[in-house]
Amino acid sequence: MHEPSHGYRIAQTIKERSQGVLDFKEGTLYPALHKLENEGLVESYDGVEKGRPRRYYRITKSGRGTLTRDRAEWRELSRAVTMILGRA
Amino acid sequence: MTGLDSWLKQATRHLSKDSAVQVRTEIEEHYESAREAAISGGATIDGAHRLALTALGNAKTANCQYRHVLLTSAEARMLRDGEWEARVVCSRSWLKWLLVAAPVAAVLAAAVLFLTGAFALARVALVGGIGLSPLFAAPLLPVYTPSRSRVYRRAKWVALIGTLALAFGPDALKWSWLMISCLWPIAWIEWTRASIRRKLPVAKWPKQLYL
Repeated sequence: MHEPSHGYRIAQTIKERSQGVLDFKEGTLYPALHKLENEGLVESYDGVEKGRPRRYYRITKSGRGTLTRDRAEWRELSRAVTMILGRA
Repeated sequence: MTGLDSWLKQATRHLSKDSAVQVRTEIEEHYESAREAAISGGATIDGAHRLALTALGNAKTANCQYRHVLLTSAEARMLRDGEWEARVVCSRSWLKWLLVAAPVAAVLAAAVLFLTGAFALARVALVGGIGLSPLFAAPLLPVYTPSRSRVYRRAKWVALIGTLALAFGPDALKWSWLMISCLWPIAWIEWTRASIRRKLPVAKWPKQLYL
């Protein structure tokens, strides 16, 4: 997920990795990518894949920092919820 | 009009021309990839079209989200108008100095009015001259970083509200409807600029967004 990717591939990767649980509407993916871009967490550039022009997105240094923090936060929260549910 | 065209038309409603082109390009690219994947997965051409379009979801929802992150036509117009105004002011140095001279003239007028005994008018001229100086002097101020911009904007609002409160004196509350009417257009511009600031990276901010 850290290497540059275009929108369609990002959408498919999310669906595959979540085993279909995160089945979001793909039209809403790009506004989310633009938001991350406005916040400087990802950057985009034009490329070509199989002769077709593509817009690629890659994570920035600041994005990596945010990802590390958010991942740690999520793991802690998820562990706490699992512990609560496990005792219920 | 195809299904994709009508989806795009709805998703790009009220977006600026550049934003609409950007949305069209990325969604068409996405749609084509989804259609090809469906065809290679065994779907018919019509079925692939339907699958790709359904996967995009509701165009109104997408439009609502796009309007939060891309420039709308009203915001693009405000940027254009602001750039035109900045060009006009910057290309005519006499106009720049006239803008700076206006609050100074108001303060001088206040002094003259005070000496002639017209105290009420003198107060209005003095408060107006001091209060409006941040607006008139804006093109000359060295405000070109986000932190200076925040300081300037706070000072501007304090000066504006203070000006109106002092100009109306003890009757300020009674005339609050008039004060709100005076501040409303400025507040609307400020609100729109705040929205543009969220959508544009700092490197692309024109001078007007700092003010």
